[in-house]
Amino acid sequence: METNASLQKEISVEREASEIFEEFKELTPSEFFRRNKQMLGFSGKIRSLTIVFHELITNSIDAAEEAGILPEMVIDLKRVDKDHYILRHQDNGPGIPEPFITKVFCTMFAGSKFRNIQSRGQQGLGCSGCVLLSQMTTGQPVKIRSGYKEGNKIKGVEMTVKMDVKTNQGLILDRKEIELDSTGVSMELHFKDVSYSLSEQGAFEYIRRTMIANPHAKIVFKDPTGNRYIFDRATDEIPPMPKEVLPHPKGVTADDLIFMAKHTDKRRFRSMLTSSLSRMSNKRVDELEEITGIDFNKRPKDMKWEEAEKIVELFQSMDFMAPPTAGLIPIGQDQVEKGMKEILEPEYVKTITRNPKTYKGGVSFVIEAGLAYGGKSGRVVGEQKKAEIMRFANRVPLTFDQGSCGITEALKSIDWKRYGIRDLENAPITVFVNIVSTHVPYMSTGKQSVAPEAEIMQEVRQATMKIARSLQKYLNAKRAAKEEAMRAQIFETLVPVVLKEAAILAERDVPEYTDVMAKVTRKPKILGGVTDDE
Amino acid sequence: MMNRRDFTLAKLKGLGNTIIDDVEKNTVPSLKVPSRGTSNIVYDEAKRYYVLGDRYGQRSLGNVKQIKKVAQMVSMANFCKVLVETQKTATMRETYYVSEGWDVDFGSQDESNLVGEDLEVTLGVTREDLGLMPEEDGASVYGNITMKDDDVEINASKTGKSGYSISPTIDDVEFVDHDVQRVIAVETMGMFHRMVQEKAYKKFDTLIVGLKGQAARATRRFLKRVNEELHLPVYICNDGDPWGFHIAMVIISGSAKLAHVNHDLATPDAKFMGVTASDIINYDLPTDPLKDIDVLRLKELAKDPRYRNEFWQNEIKKMLKIGKKAEQQSFSKYGLEYVVDTYFPEKLDSM
Repeated sequence: METNASLQKEISVEREASEIFEEFKELTPSEFFRRNKQMLGFSGKIRSLTIVFHELITNSIDAAEEAGILPEMVIDLKRVDKDHYILRHQDNGPGIPEPFITKVFCTMFAGSKFRNIQSRGQQGLGCSGCVLLSQMTTGQPVKIRSGYKEGNKIKGVEMTVKMDVKTNQGLILDRKEIELDSTGVSMELHFKDVSYSLSEQGAFEYIRRTMIANPHAKIVFKDPTGNRYIFDRATDEIPPMPKEVLPHPKGVTADDLIFMAKHTDKRRFRSMLTSSLSRMSNKRVDELEEITGIDFNKRPKDMKWEEAEKIVELFQSMDFMAPPTAGLIPIGQDQVEKGMKEILEPEYVKTITRNPKTYKGGVSFVIEAGLAYGGKSGRVVGEQKKAEIMRFANRVPLTFDQGSCGITEALKSIDWKRYGIRDLENAPITVFVNIVSTHVPYMSTGKQSVAPEAEIMQEVRQATMKIARSLQKYLNAKRAAKEEAMRAQIFETLVPVVLKEAAILAERDVPEYTDVMAKVTRKPKILGGVTDDE
Repeated sequence: MMNRRDFTLAKLKGLGNTIIDDVEKNTVPSLKVPSRGTSNIVYDEAKRYYVLGDRYGQRSLGNVKQIKKVAQMVSMANFCKVLVETQKTATMRETYYVSEGWDVDFGSQDESNLVGEDLEVTLGVTREDLGLMPEEDGASVYGNITMKDDDVEINASKTGKSGYSISPTIDDVEFVDHDVQRVIAVETMGMFHRMVQEKAYKKFDTLIVGLKGQAARATRRFLKRVNEELHLPVYICNDGDPWGFHIAMVIISGSAKLAHVNHDLATPDAKFMGVTASDIINYDLPTDPLKDIDVLRLKELAKDPRYRNEFWQNEIKKMLKIGKKAEQQSFSKYGLEYVVDTYFPEKLDSM
């Protein structure tokens, strides 16, 4: 009874809808991410700084490559106070023209990468995300210098900007033109609540791994203690730019089809399909038409949702050629090898780039793998060397969520004992795996682990097992050589012992035995007769 | 005929000569070591004990694993040579410790024991010949037999109630005199003392031997020597169970493990007196039921070539059938004297 009464009471304070909707607001992307910075990967002090390095480095490399320049960066991390750092990041890319500077640094979801193309970054959150973090933790503006070509001259501009979160726009606090003799962007950002670490998840390791997957890049890094590390490039080859490829029928959804139909310039649905999907021939469209009974000659805009659904469903059961792979640019096994050699100085290294395969029937991908043994391979834990797994997606190191990653799972499912590695965990080995795809199936927004798609797991296993066989051969040969040396050593010590004792036993002198010794040390196997050791 | 000592020394020297000769001929020395693997242990029906077959393994200087064994063998051979020359003995344990000072050592005593056995089979001599002695003394002997050990004369009826303890160096002991007709060996010291107390040595003109369980090498060697040198029949009386059977059988036909020295250890003419399964029934002895492990062991014995004759097959079957076993001391059900007064005379008569 009482509950009823209290209910009555509440009803009496009921507000009208109009009253509530007075508070209805639209969030700008900047405001949204200010409230949900973990969605940009900024969670935890170490991780936050690593993500900053990741965003800035990938942007610099992408920009340089697009301009056909060998990427080079100078990064300087200064520690002002506990958890308070100043980061200076400078690259040699093409620079950013002045009108775009505030867009790049202060507007979320502005960028050039919203295409069906293999690229490092993808969402246009990189730079602006870092500026957001800086501003949120320190209130400081960001200082930017950009040098870019205009005609034959290099134009230089220096700006101090802030992000207006409410409007998702940049605010220019200061601006002046400066003289620069080369192109590129440099920036200075303040951060608090971040932490520099040498751990596997830390910023230093991130740079090291980046260098392995990008042997054409050069990074000079000054750490907070003042140490200067020069990661030199291992090759002068700039990787070719990936081409944009049309989506494959098996990879599209009904919503994708409707979206294409809305934005196409084609006048008939038939020609829209053949021009916006790969591997889509007129013959295939005829087949679709016959089975569905849909009129494929109607205007794209007249396509109904139910029809799109029916078509997508049919795609799954039809045979299409595998998607074109021109869009995929792997690092290449030679380049991976160069990268691993440069950074790990291993005793032995073997790499492989596999042929393209597809997962989910229509998304093509390439797996590259490398194994390095000895030297600086593996990571040092206390006094011991442990194996390390380096995962990459489109050359970008995946440093977090290793446990839940399909790549890790695939590697752990390999029976390493078969390849002469008794205990992978405790071997001085670095395993490198890079997945190249226009759509890497990430597990979450953090983009740090790859979903365990059966086809991807299979490829990772195949690739790694293939090079593990080579490593096994090397290890066997090494073992054999060591045994050979030990064998010789054994003969050289024991032959004199046997002869001395035998001479005492026979009460004779030790005979000259140079010939016998020579015969013995050269003999690889048992000397004739049956061996029957218990 | 060469005495055992000179024979052993000649064999040891020969081992050295084989190696030095090969080297002088510029060939890589290689020793033939008779194989002691189970596949090379065969039961010799004529000899009535286990012998080694004719398979052998190589110990070559040219093989990285075998050369170490050769080095260990010649080192131990030299150690034994000194023992034999100076008429000393060393236990296997002592030998293992001494080896620590050699140029090549052993990982464990098991390893040095194995090399000792290699030396035995390669040279065809026993480890006692080589001066290598087991740790334990042999059995106790009571009765009128006089032996000479070095310069000391011992009479086994004058060494106290526990009798004369068979020394590991029994081969150096000389039999001087005796006035007995037979030897009765019993499994337990309890039965040994019963027989001494009841003066069984007088009643049966016998030596009494207390085996103390599985007979030591020295004991077996003693029994073989009294049987062959003094032509005394040997009777064995053990508990009436598979383990008692087998203690007797090892004395009679030797063990598989020591196939290479059975010609010196086995006494094929020794007789098993009891306790048999038939005794259990005929004398209505107090019994224990057979345990699973007893049944298993009996079934194993039934398949063993040493138990192939009718007597053993019948007794094993009978014991399995009644499902019971009895200790030799269970005769005391009929009074302490019964075993000596009634059982032994009846059994000796029937054999």
